[in-house]
Amino acid sequence: MSSMTEDLKKVATGTRSIVQARSISKVFRRDSFEVTALDKVNLDIAEGEFLALMGPSGSGKTSLLNMIAAIDQPTSGELLVLGENVFRFGDKEIARWRNEHIGYVFQTFNLIPVLTAFENVELPLLLTRLTRSERRDHVMTALKLVGLEDRVDHLPKQLSGGQEQRVAIARAIATDPTIILADEPTGDLDSHSATEVLEILKRLNHDHHKTIVMVTHDPHAAAYAHSTRDLEKGMLLPV
Amino acid sequence: MNLPSFIAKNAFRNKRRSLLTVLSISFSLLLLTMLISIWRGFYLDEPSPDAALRIITRHRVSLAFMMPIFYREKIRAIPGVLQVVPMNWFGGKYKDDKPENMFAQFGTDPEEVFKVHRDWKVEPEQLAAWQRDRAGAAVERKLADKHLWKLGDRIVLIGNIYAVNAELTVRAIFDADEAWQALLFNQTYVEEAVPYAKGRAGIFAMLVDSPDAVARISGQIDEMFKNAPQPTKTESEKAFQLGFVAMLGNVKAFILSIGLAVVFAILLVSANTMAMSIRERTREVALLKTLGFTRGSILSMFVGESVMLAVFGGLLGAFCARWLLSAAASSPAMGGFLAGAKVTAPTLIVSLLVAALVGLLSAFVPSYHASKLKIVDGLRHIG
Repeated sequence: MSSMTEDLKKVATGTRSIVQARSISKVFRRDSFEVTALDKVNLDIAEGEFLALMGPSGSGKTSLLNMIAAIDQPTSGELLVLGENVFRFGDKEIARWRNEHIGYVFQTFNLIPVLTAFENVELPLLLTRLTRSERRDHVMTALKLVGLEDRVDHLPKQLSGGQEQRVAIARAIATDPTIILADEPTGDLDSHSATEVLEILKRLNHDHHKTIVMVTHDPHAAAYAHSTRDLEKGMLLPV
Repeated sequence: MNLPSFIAKNAFRNKRRSLLTVLSISFSLLLLTMLISIWRGFYLDEPSPDAALRIITRHRVSLAFMMPIFYREKIRAIPGVLQVVPMNWFGGKYKDDKPENMFAQFGTDPEEVFKVHRDWKVEPEQLAAWQRDRAGAAVERKLADKHLWKLGDRIVLIGNIYAVNAELTVRAIFDADEAWQALLFNQTYVEEAVPYAKGRAGIFAMLVDSPDAVARISGQIDEMFKNAPQPTKTESEKAFQLGFVAMLGNVKAFILSIGLAVVFAILLVSANTMAMSIRERTREVALLKTLGFTRGSILSMFVGESVMLAVFGGLLGAFCARWLLSAAASSPAMGGFLAGAKVTAPTLIVSLLVAALVGLLSAFVPSYHASKLKIVDGLRHIG
C-alpha cells in the first residue's frame, strides 16, 4: 500500500494532478445489508481542470466528492489530494487542511440563518490568522466576485435562492482554496439563477485558475465544464 | 465578527426559546441566591463590631419563663460587663390582628437601653424626652414611617399578655438595623399597672468590654445562676437570634435540599433546551466541520452558548434576588427576620459560578455528541 502511495506522489509531481484516486471503493453497511456506493474508481483531476461528475441518483457522485473533500473515507483504495493522503491526518490537521485547500458548495446553500452575507463568508476566515481588516478585504473580494457587494448586511432570508448560492460560493472561495467542490450547485435554482452560478464557477476556473469538481445531473450545467465523467452504480464509465 | 460574537448570535437565534430559558434559569437562580444569602445571613456572616459585644441572658428552660430583676445587678458586677438592660416582650395588639400591624414591643429601661445598643442612633433631646416621660415610646424609624407616626403621636397597644393597655406617646424616633424594627417603652409603665410584672425580666441584654470576653462572661453568668430556681442560658446576640431560626426546624437541611432541587431542576431545563437546540443544527455542525472547525471548537462553541445563556439568567436572577431580599429585609412585615440576609459580592459570584456550571454540564453531553458527528451523517440530516 505504501509503495502505491509513493507511486501516486511521483505521478502527482510529474503531471500536476491534484486528485488521484486509485481503485477506491466505498461500501456502506446498514444492518446486514451492504451498499456499494463506489466500486474501484480510478480518477485523475489535473490542476486547473473544471470537471463535471454526472450520473443518476445513487451513482456515487456525492460520495466521490465527499472523499476528495476528506469528509468521508474510502473503504479501500488510495486517494491523494494535493499529493497528500489526508486520511492519515488527525482531527485538527484534517480540519486545517480542509479550511486551507477546499471550498465546498452545497446544493441547499447551507448558510447560517442568523449571520449576514458578510458574516457567512467571513466564517471560514475566523479559523485563520488573518486580522480583522484582512478578513474584511477577503470577504469583500469574494462578495465582489459573485456580484453581491451591495448585499453584505442582508440575512439569508432576505436573499433570493440564487443570491444565497452566490453567497455560498463566496464563502467557499473566501480562504482562496485550491479546489472548489460543488455538489449540485444549481439543483435548487431556477434556470436564470443557475446560469449566473455556473458563470461564476466558470469565471473562477478560467480567471482565477481554481480547480473545480462539480456534481450535477443537468447536462446544461455540465456543458460549462472542460470535461465530464459519468458514474453509474458506483463505477466510473470510460471516457 | 469573531467567535464570541458568533456564539452570542447562536445563543439568541431563537429569541423566544432563549428568553424562556434565561427566565427559567433566572427564576431558579433567584431562589438559589436568596437561599444562599439567607444561609450566609444566618450562619456565616460575622456580627457588626457593636453586636459582637452584646450578649443575651434568658431563662434556661424557655423564653416564656421570666427571671428575677435582681439578676441585673449581679450580672453587672461581673468584671467585663459594661451595661445591662432588661427587655420584656409586651406582645400587645395595635389596631387589629392583621400581620401589617404586628411589630415587636419591649418594656425596658430608657436610661440604659441605648448604652447597650450603641449602634442605635437617636437625637439626644428626643432620648431625654423619652426618659422623662414614663408613658413615652421610642420607635424605630422604618416602623414609624410605615405607620406614619411622628413625635407626639399617641399609640395604644392592647395588652394580650399583661392585663393592661399601653397608651403611649412617641417621644423618640431612632435608627437601627433591620433586625430591630421595634417599639420601646418604659417597663415601669407595665409594672405599675400590673403588679405581677414587677421585679421580673424576660431577657437581659448586656454590653461587654471585648468580644474575647463573651464566652467567659456567658459561662460566668450561667454558672452563677446554675442552682437558682431560675437558671439562665447566656449566649451571644447572634446565637440568640439563631435560636429563633432553629425554632423553624432544621433550617440548614431545608435550605440545602431546596437549593439542590433548584439546581437539579435548572440543570434538566437547560439540558433539554441545549439538546433541542443542538439537534436542530445538526446540518450546521456538518457545515462548520466542512469549513474547517475542529471537534474541540464545535464543543467549545455549544458549551459557550449554554454557559452564556445560563450566566445571563444567573445575573438577572441574582440581581432580582438582591432587590427582593433588600425589600423583604426592610419590610416591617418580616419583623427583621431576614435582616442579616443580603446578596453580597461573594454570594453573587457563587450564584454565577453555579449558573456557569449548570450551563456547562447541561450542554456537555449533546455538544460532545455533536462534535463527534460525522460530516456526511450531518449533511444527510433532515430536521
